[in-house]
Amino acid sequence: MKIADTLDVDSTFQHLRSQALASMRDHLDGTRPIVMVGTATCGKAAGALEVLQAIREELAKDQPDARVVEVGCMGHCYAEPLVIINKPGNPPMAYGYVTPEIARRLVRDYVIGDDPSLEFTLGALEENDLIPSIYDLPRFAYEQNIVLKNCGHIDPENIDHYIASGGYEALARALRMQPQEIVEEIKLSGLRGRGGAGYPTWQKWRVCRDSKGRPKYVICNADEGDPGAFMDRAILESDPHSVIEGMIVAAYAVGARYGYIYVRAEYPLAVHRIEIALRQARRRGLLGKNILGSGFDIDIRLFQGSGAFVCGEETALIASLEGRQGLPRHRPPFPAVHGLNGKPTLINNVKTLAYVPRIITNGASWFSSIGTEKSKGTAVFALAGKVVNAGLTEVPMGTTLRQIVFDVGGGIPNGKQFKAVQIGGPSGGCLPQSALDLPIDFDSLREVGAMMGSGGMVVLDEDDCMVEVARYFLEFTQRESCGKCTMCRLGTKQMLEMLKDFTIGQGSMEDLDKLYEMAEDIKEGSLCGLGRTAPNPVLTTLRYFRDEYEAHIKERHCPALMCHDLIAYYVLPHKCERSCDACVGACTVEAISPDRKGIKVIDQEKCVKCNLCLLACPPQYNAIIKLSPPELVPAAKKVK
Amino acid sequence: MEAITITLNGREVSGYPGMTILELARESGVEIPTLCHDPHLAPIGACRICLVEDERSGKLAASCVTPLEPGMVINTESPKVVERRKAIIKLILASHPDSCMVCDKGNQCELRKIASDMGVGLVGFQKIPQLATIEEVNPFIERDLSKCILCAKCIRADHDLVVQGAIDYIDRGFASKPATLNDMPLENSECTFCGTCVAICPTGALMEKKRAYSGTSPVKVSTICPFCGCGCSINLEVKDNQIVRARPGAESAVNRGTLCVKGSYGYDFVHSAERLTSPLAKVNGDFEAIPWEQALALVASELGRLRRTYGPGSLAVLGSSKCTNEENYLLQRFARSVLGTNNIDNGSRLYSAASIIGLGAAVGFPGTTNHLDALEQSEVIMVIGANLTSSAPIVGYAVKRAVRSRGAKLILVDPQRTELASFSHLWLRPRVGTDMALINGMARVIVTESLLDEEFVAGKTDNFEALSKVLEEYTPDYVEGITSVTSEEVSRAARLFAEANVASIVYGTGITQHITGTDSVMALANLAMLTGDIGLRGGIFALQKDCNGQGACDMGALPNLLPGYQCVEDAQSINKFADRWGTDLPSDAGLSAIEMIEHVREGKVKGMYIVGENPALSFPNSTVVKEALASLDFLVVQDMFLTDTAKLANVVLPAASFAEKEGTFTNFEGRVQRVRKAIEPFGDSLPDSEIVLRLANSMGYPMPYSSLQQVMDEIRELVPLYQGIGYRDSETKDIYRAELDKDPLSKRRLFKGQFPSGFGRFHPVQYESPGETPSNGYNFTLLTGSILHHSGTGSKSSRSPRLSEFSPEAYVEIGESDANQVGINQGDKVKVISPLGEVIAAARFTDTLPEGVIFMPNSFPSTPVNQLFDIVLDPQAKTPALKTCAVKLERT
Repeated sequence: MKIADTLDVDSTFQHLRSQALASMRDHLDGTRPIVMVGTATCGKAAGALEVLQAIREELAKDQPDARVVEVGCMGHCYAEPLVIINKPGNPPMAYGYVTPEIARRLVRDYVIGDDPSLEFTLGALEENDLIPSIYDLPRFAYEQNIVLKNCGHIDPENIDHYIASGGYEALARALRMQPQEIVEEIKLSGLRGRGGAGYPTWQKWRVCRDSKGRPKYVICNADEGDPGAFMDRAILESDPHSVIEGMIVAAYAVGARYGYIYVRAEYPLAVHRIEIALRQARRRGLLGKNILGSGFDIDIRLFQGSGAFVCGEETALIASLEGRQGLPRHRPPFPAVHGLNGKPTLINNVKTLAYVPRIITNGASWFSSIGTEKSKGTAVFALAGKVVNAGLTEVPMGTTLRQIVFDVGGGIPNGKQFKAVQIGGPSGGCLPQSALDLPIDFDSLREVGAMMGSGGMVVLDEDDCMVEVARYFLEFTQRESCGKCTMCRLGTKQMLEMLKDFTIGQGSMEDLDKLYEMAEDIKEGSLCGLGRTAPNPVLTTLRYFRDEYEAHIKERHCPALMCHDLIAYYVLPHKCERSCDACVGACTVEAISPDRKGIKVIDQEKCVKCNLCLLACPPQYNAIIKLSPPELVPAAKKVK
Repeated sequence: MEAITITLNGREVSGYPGMTILELARESGVEIPTLCHDPHLAPIGACRICLVEDERSGKLAASCVTPLEPGMVINTESPKVVERRKAIIKLILASHPDSCMVCDKGNQCELRKIASDMGVGLVGFQKIPQLATIEEVNPFIERDLSKCILCAKCIRADHDLVVQGAIDYIDRGFASKPATLNDMPLENSECTFCGTCVAICPTGALMEKKRAYSGTSPVKVSTICPFCGCGCSINLEVKDNQIVRARPGAESAVNRGTLCVKGSYGYDFVHSAERLTSPLAKVNGDFEAIPWEQALALVASELGRLRRTYGPGSLAVLGSSKCTNEENYLLQRFARSVLGTNNIDNGSRLYSAASIIGLGAAVGFPGTTNHLDALEQSEVIMVIGANLTSSAPIVGYAVKRAVRSRGAKLILVDPQRTELASFSHLWLRPRVGTDMALINGMARVIVTESLLDEEFVAGKTDNFEALSKVLEEYTPDYVEGITSVTSEEVSRAARLFAEANVASIVYGTGITQHITGTDSVMALANLAMLTGDIGLRGGIFALQKDCNGQGACDMGALPNLLPGYQCVEDAQSINKFADRWGTDLPSDAGLSAIEMIEHVREGKVKGMYIVGENPALSFPNSTVVKEALASLDFLVVQDMFLTDTAKLANVVLPAASFAEKEGTFTNFEGRVQRVRKAIEPFGDSLPDSEIVLRLANSMGYPMPYSSLQQVMDEIRELVPLYQGIGYRDSETKDIYRAELDKDPLSKRRLFKGQFPSGFGRFHPVQYESPGETPSNGYNFTLLTGSILHHSGTGSKSSRSPRLSEFSPEAYVEIGESDANQVGINQGDKVKVISPLGEVIAAARFTDTLPEGVIFMPNSFPSTPVNQLFDIVLDPQAKTPALKTCAVKLERT
């Protein structure tokens, strides 16, 4: 490869940068207010578009000089829709849970007026003397944003925002390096693949670089499919250029001529924003022939997957990209040697690629100073489930589960008891209370039977039945198994049948052993990563919550009172108020009627266990409870 | 390449890099069970049965896909491995129906075999069978996907071997299964019912459709398919003297585990109720069954009488391109030494004489110049005048594989959009009958642009100057004027062909069945010799329509050539045979097939002996041919069925089918392959060889052979091409003991690139209009050809219950706009009229034909298309033009 003309690349980039800064001057000169609305998928789902509309209408009335900018996701998904108002002379202010009405008030009172409306604010985004800063919240003691740094702070549909905030500087720098120097830099940084398995990134790069075939390809794996995981989506929606820049650097390092971003079609907004980003990058000469005057050619295209979970597996993804059915194949040969169209192909996860520009800009030693000994940098988690602050969080590797769940996530809502964390999606495992103080990194998680996976983290509380959780995840993997290999296709089905039996009080202790053996068989005998990790939720729940399984089998008892067939609703006679008819009215199947004394009785034959009576019973009585096993319900007295 | 040494079950063994553990294990005699592995298919590691343990790490790996690594310590039977394997078998059995006892797959079921080998009885899992509707509407394949174990062999065979694309995975997880597009029934899909998937299926999921349970057949006989000239090896499974199924011979280098629908299902003509069971004699216009002795005596006396009365020249013999080499050899000896005439020809006259003559003159070899593997390894393949996927399916598979798997570029030359068009890199669509101008045009581009292999042309060919002189005229513009193929396309095709390192040419009846057939073949030979693509690499592949068209010619069932293409007019040759046979032989060239008919009409030929041919249908102008045959003093026909020709005979002799006799067929490559007897002859029928020998006896000139082995020995002695093809195995007790050498083809190849005469000769040939263009109100050009489900005149295929059920009658393919002009709707009965006759068939709309061109299949006895053709011969090959003629259409 031709070594880039240093001067040429530098001057071309400086020109690009000054252009971007010039066009950004409107925003940066600090003379007019800027209103930023988070319109990533999480924001939109919470009503951000209505909020945006309201702000635009309200501004149109009075002060057209204010700027409205759509930005991505800051990670505080629990507080969406989120609005940031940056007014000259004041620190930028973040407002959460904004409705169109609140938005109109904010425009009137703060953008036009001078009242920062502290009752709606989450805090200021800068330290200041007047208003409490958002960074005083406990979560910020742990969070460290590297790949999420721009998210929610720049307009993802405007490349100038990205360039003005330091974007593509890493590319300009990389193009002045020798490709092998870049691989070396990535090696020194200790970056490991964020797709889940934590394979050292530099090794893939080196193998691909050393492989003979031409042309080479680089693929960004954005087929994020784990239930409850949305980190990649947020990055692509909020900061697509960081991924594209990472891809170009990777392409240069391995000598790839073409790139593909494989993104699932279920992410329409990400698709839209990537398309815009690719178009803008091409127009700026960052893609195409002779990028930045370096003599290096790279084109990147977007490819929409069709929703098969297994296509996140790299060989299946490549098959799908080639227009074939997305079935994994045996490795080796690895894609770095024999990938797309049989050519050497570098395939990395969204986050892995997004780290690359930061590492090039800040240096390998900066990156490797973060994290644990073997897992460098930060980890991005999508916090979901029974946790107060659901959303994205980026913390250094080695942060404990407790810190993430309780300090960043704000703990369990409604005063319930923490039970477990399901980490790593369907390939991961359920970790109990005793693992809360485990510093999380790739290797520690594997030791306890889970895995980093793509970073989904579902918090479970006392109301969650672990057998049911295992069944849920297995049903997912069973459904998403491609069907190619026997172990995964038939084994997961058998496991699922056993788990289903447990949740309805059937099955025996022998089955429990069979389940365990089958899980081990599948783990060792499957063709691809999907099958090899599919038993993890079962194995970890068996390991940490075996008592729950045994309760289901031996006593037909669901400790979490969750498994439909193992519970019954019962009105505690001594608590029933008698004259209240709330439960009777709520019941949709007329299963509740008063006895002679007016105490409500549930006809178990009719009851469909819809839970409406329990919700309807006024809290001051709390007369309706769930019993497990259902046989605990006292036999109804015969009514004469 | 450095060997890799691993420890396998405690023993050190070595393999080569890239070899899988399974391959090395099998080579070392270590058996590892497999379900999804097949030597013809790329491994996918799906079934997981072949797991082995690497004792260094304790990790399990699927041995079929795991390459050797130095230092591996592999245990194929460790407790963990056995436990996992059992788990897999149990998993499969748990989702499998409990119908083993009544499953037609019987003891051939690989799942059942592995389960019993491993001692898996009780499953111990929940039974979750996936019930499926048994699909059995089509006459060939029964699909019961409840027995599918998703080894994907059928899918891979479909994609990687026959390259059809009829089936693929559908759905995911537990619900996934092999299915056609949108899960339609097979008959509504791209499926050709080639049966390859049925043969490769390890369980009873894909089975031959059968009316009754036949169980496991104890006898398997490896023989050669009796249909086209590809020469596929088939295994006939026999029970109670009935063939119960046919499977592709796995070892064959020709078909490599594949077959076509005819090979897989067409054998059932053997058991047709229409088979002749005893000799017949015509008495007062009706046939009467007579004993063999009486029939032979009658034939002997009549032939003898005619010879005595009118001389040997009054007799003519038509041998068969469907009979074995031994039979054709005996028949030509019978004609020459017993009857004393060279009036002997065979059915391949109708389609391959142009190749014999054209290639014989240019290259020195009468036929295909390389083997099928070489075709598949070509970088550029030119297919011209051949609808491969119908007429030579196995060659079609090879071409499609070359394109799909090896990235070969296909130049397709055909006015009709055949199935190969979608595989072509360049599809040239010349006007019907103008191929030769196109070939010359390509040759000119190669010469003028200096794309020729100068070293080859200078060192190994002669007459180049004469060629280049003739080619001058064929400028791209001139060629465009004749062919309507644009000059750019002609140039592109020429450059593509010439610039490839290895290029091959495949041609069929679209070249040979024109009156300029021989010239066209020579033009193709010119092209191959200009680029040096003949000899060591690439080659010319001349297709054959019949199972032994090549062999019948090799055996000298030809009027001017003795066995091994030795000229009858050459004193040395004729003396060699005369000495060997101890008799005088006629030394003037005899009559070719069509000439025989002409001589019958002129009253010069009085008696004919027709073996396994059906000229009443296969010759042009059937009306005249039938009149002529009926006018003979004496006609004896030897056949399996009472064909249209046999109906005209005085005596009909019942012949045994291919499955009822021993011998050899020579396929289009020149590969000599064994035909083996699977069942006893039907009724009183006899193998053709036996009949000829008995007849010679009856005529008082016994031929001194006590076995077919002796016949083959003599062939090897007298026919140079067949020297060294076999060896005697005195240990076995077979009637026919010659086993064939591993590479019987070498004799036919341009060994080490040398032409037999030292030089290949360029033959400058001029394009002439085929003279079959529409005129005088005959405004359509009729193209005829074979179709996938039938062959020849349909004598065999139309009597195959399954083939004829699926493809019962002829049709006329016509473009919709052409049809609109004549007012024809889809399905209308259409009268196709030529100056000589008319046939009626249903119209079928197609978008594959150029305007003004219609297509009809020529293999339906009930719709004798050949009667539309006048008798016009290629002056050199004496092959009648049977490819195209001018017709008009009428709605009936």
